[in-house]
Amino acid sequence: MDQLILWLPAIPLISALLTHLLGRGIVRISTTCGVLLLILSACLLGLSLLGADVHLHTLGISWGGLLFDPLSALMALMISGVSLLVRVYSIRYMAEEAGYARFFVLLDLMTASLLIMVAAGDLITLLISWHLIGLLLYFLLGHDTRSHSAYRYGFWTLITCRLGDLPLVLAAMLLFHSYDSWWLPEIFEKIAANPDAATFLGLPVVEVAGGLVALSAFARSAQFLLHTWLPYSMEGPTPVSALMHAGIVNAGGILINRFAPIYVHTDSVLHWVFIVGLFTAIIGSVLMLSQNDVKKSLGYSTMGQMGFMVMECGVGAFSLAVFHLIAHGLFKGTMFLSAGGVIGEARHDDGVPKKDLYTFIVERQPPTDKQPWLIMAAITLAVPIFVLFLSHWAVAPDLSQKQGAIVLLFFGWVTGAQLLFSTYHMSAQNPWRLVGLIIVSFVIVVIGYTFISHALDLFLYPNPEFAAQLYHAASIDILSFDVLVSIAALVIVVGWVRVYYQHHHRIHKSQPPGNVWLNFYALISREFYINDLYTGLNRSLLSASTRLNMLLRWG
Amino acid sequence: MMDIVTLLLAAVFLPLFPFSMVFNALFERLPHPVLRSVMLLVWPLIGIYLLQGERQLPPDWTVIWASATAILYGFRLIAIRDMGRWIGFLATSAWSLLWVSINAGMNGGWLYQFALGFSVPLVMLVIMATHIGARFGAAYTGLYGGLAATTPRLSGVLVFATLAATATPVFPAFFIMLHNIVSSAPEIVAAMLIAWLLWTWASARLLQGLIVGSKAGEAVQDIGKVLTWLYALLMAVLALSGLYLAGGRL
Repeated sequence: MDQLILWLPAIPLISALLTHLLGRGIVRISTTCGVLLLILSACLLGLSLLGADVHLHTLGISWGGLLFDPLSALMALMISGVSLLVRVYSIRYMAEEAGYARFFVLLDLMTASLLIMVAAGDLITLLISWHLIGLLLYFLLGHDTRSHSAYRYGFWTLITCRLGDLPLVLAAMLLFHSYDSWWLPEIFEKIAANPDAATFLGLPVVEVAGGLVALSAFARSAQFLLHTWLPYSMEGPTPVSALMHAGIVNAGGILINRFAPIYVHTDSVLHWVFIVGLFTAIIGSVLMLSQNDVKKSLGYSTMGQMGFMVMECGVGAFSLAVFHLIAHGLFKGTMFLSAGGVIGEARHDDGVPKKDLYTFIVERQPPTDKQPWLIMAAITLAVPIFVLFLSHWAVAPDLSQKQGAIVLLFFGWVTGAQLLFSTYHMSAQNPWRLVGLIIVSFVIVVIGYTFISHALDLFLYPNPEFAAQLYHAASIDILSFDVLVSIAALVIVVGWVRVYYQHHHRIHKSQPPGNVWLNFYALISREFYINDLYTGLNRSLLSASTRLNMLLRWG
Repeated sequence: MMDIVTLLLAAVFLPLFPFSMVFNALFERLPHPVLRSVMLLVWPLIGIYLLQGERQLPPDWTVIWASATAILYGFRLIAIRDMGRWIGFLATSAWSLLWVSINAGMNGGWLYQFALGFSVPLVMLVIMATHIGARFGAAYTGLYGGLAATTPRLSGVLVFATLAATATPVFPAFFIMLHNIVSSAPEIVAAMLIAWLLWTWASARLLQGLIVGSKAGEAVQDIGKVLTWLYALLMAVLALSGLYLAGGRL
C-alpha cells in the first residue's frame, strides 16, 4: 500500500504533460490532479500514523527511489495542500496573464520536484530534485517574460540556489566515497554502526558532510549572506510568492531533518547551524522592521523565520523545526494570497490609528488609560515564564536537562515578554481586558505549540534515544552554556531597563538621535550594503571577463 | 611515458588552453551550421581516439590543466554575447573535463558517449542560433530580446537546449559531471563545480538577453509546429539517454 508514494510525483507530472499537450481544460486537469494528490498524500500520512514501516521503493537500478517514512508523508501532505491552494487561487488570478498554460505546467513540475525532494531515498534523486527546484523557481519568478526586473532578481535566486547545490554535490560525493552507496537508509545504517569509520582530510566524514549539507540548506532557506534573493524576488506572480514563502524556502529545514542520522554523530556542526540561524533571525527581524516597502518587509520576515527554524535545528529540536516550517508556511502563504484583499480593504479604510486628541475631541470617546509601568513589567516577566514552563513540564518533565529546550524556552519567554511589553504602549480604553486577551492568546499559542511539537517529536523521531542524542549533539559544556544564557539575559534586561529609564525620565523622540544611531540606521537602510557588495562583485567579474576576452580575442 | 606528439594533438582536440584557441578560431570562422555541427560532434571524438591509441593514461597534471581550462572558458563565457562564440567556449570548457574521465580510466565506448553527451545539446544550440540569425540578422544576446513574446516555440526549444548544454538534470551532461566529480580528487572537484556554476551564470545571461523583453520591431515568423515537435522529441531522447545511459553508469 505504501508503494503509492511512487504516484506522488507521477500525478503532477501527468498533470503537466496533459496541460502542455491539450492546452485547454487546464482548470479541470489542474484541480483534479491537485485534489487527487492531496487525497493520496493524506492516505500516505494516515498509513504512517497507523504505524506503517519505513520502506524504500526503488526503480531497480543503483539509484532512483522514494522513501516512505513519517517525514516524507508529512511533508508530502503539506506540499500537496499548499500546491492545491495555489492552483485554485491561480485559476482566476492568472487568467489574464500571458502564458497561462505554461504557468500551470511549471507549477506542476515544481510540485513534483518538491515531492521528490522530500521523499528522495538516494543521493542522486535528491540532487536532481534539489537542482530542479532552484531552476523551476527561476522560471516561475520570471513568468512575465516581458519584465527585465523579474528576470534580474530571478537570476539572483538562481545563482544562490546553484551556489547552494554545490555543497550538496560535494556531500553526496563524500558520502558515496566513504560508504559506497547512493541509498540514504544504507548510508545512515553504516554511519550508525561506526560513525568515525571514515575521514576526509583528517576530519570525520559525518562532520564534513553535515557541514556541507547545512551550507546547502542555508542557501535554500535564505540564511545570512545567502539571503539577498528572498526579499528581492517579489516581481513574480503572487501565487509564486506564496508557494516560495510557504514551501520552497522551507527546503533547508527539511534537508537538515532528512540528514538527522548524520547530525546525531557530529560534534560542532549543529553549534554553527545555531549561530547562523540566530544571526539570520536577528538580522532578518531588524531589516523587516526597517523596511518601508511591505513586500520587502514580508521577505525579510520570512528570512527571520527561516533563521529561527534553522536555529531550532541547531539546538537539536529537529521536529520543532518541522512544525515551525509548517506553521510558518501556512501563515505566510495565507498572507501572500490575501494580500490583494488587504489592499482592497485599505482603499476604504487606511487602518492608521487616530491620535488620542482626535478621538477625544472629534469622536467624543473617553481618553485611553495606562497602568503603572512596574505592574505591567512584573506581569510581563512572570506570566510568560510561568506559562512556558508549565506547558513544557506537562509534556516532558525532564525538559530542564536539555540545553536546546532551555534555549527555546528562553526565546519563548523573551518573545512573550516583548508581546506583553508592547501592550503597554498600546492605547486602550480597557487595558486590563487587552492584557487579558493577549495572555489568553499567548497561553493558547504556547500550549498548542508545545503539544503539537511534542506530538511531532513522537511521530518523526519515535526512538527517544535518538531524539536525546540529537539534543546531546547540539549541547555544549554546561559552564559555557550558563555563561551564554546569562549574557543573553543580561543584554535583554539592560534593554528593558533602558526603555524604563527613557520612559521614567520622559526622554522623547524629538531629541536628535546620536551619531551611532544615525550610522546604524544608514547601515540597515542600505541592508548592510550586502546587495551593493554583490552587485559590485558581479560587475567586477563581468568586466574582468570582458577584458580577458579582449586580451585573448583569437579564441 | 605517453608520446608527446599524441599528447599535444589530444590537447588540441580535447581542448587545453592555449591549444584550445585552434578549435575556437576555426569554429568561429566556419560559416555553415552543418559544418559547425559536424565539427562539434567529431572534434572531441578525435581527441579521445588519439588517447585511446596509447597504452598509458595521460599524466596527472593534465587533469589540473584541464580543470583550469574549464574554469578559464567558463569565466570567459559569462561576458560573451555572440551565440556562435558562446557555443565554442562552452564546448571548450566542457570537453576539457573529458580529461578527468580519461584519467579515471574510463573505457573508450563510454568516453565517446560522454563526448556526445556534451556535444549533442551544443549542436541543438547551433541550430537555434541559425534560426535566430535568419530572423534577426544575428544571434546576439542582449541586442533585441523578447523572443518569448515574438517566437515562443523557438524560445522554448532554445531554453531546453541551453539547459541541456549546461548540465541541467536530467540531461546527459549532468550525469557526466556527477561521474567526473565522483571519480576525482577534492581540488579537481572544486574546480569542476566552479566551472559548472559559471556555466549556469552564462546560460542565465544568454537566455535573459534573448528571450526576455516586449514585442518590438517587425513581426518575425516562429518555427513550425512539426519542427518544434521534432526538436522536443530530440530533447526527450536526450533526457532519457541521460537517465538510462549516463545516469545508469553512476
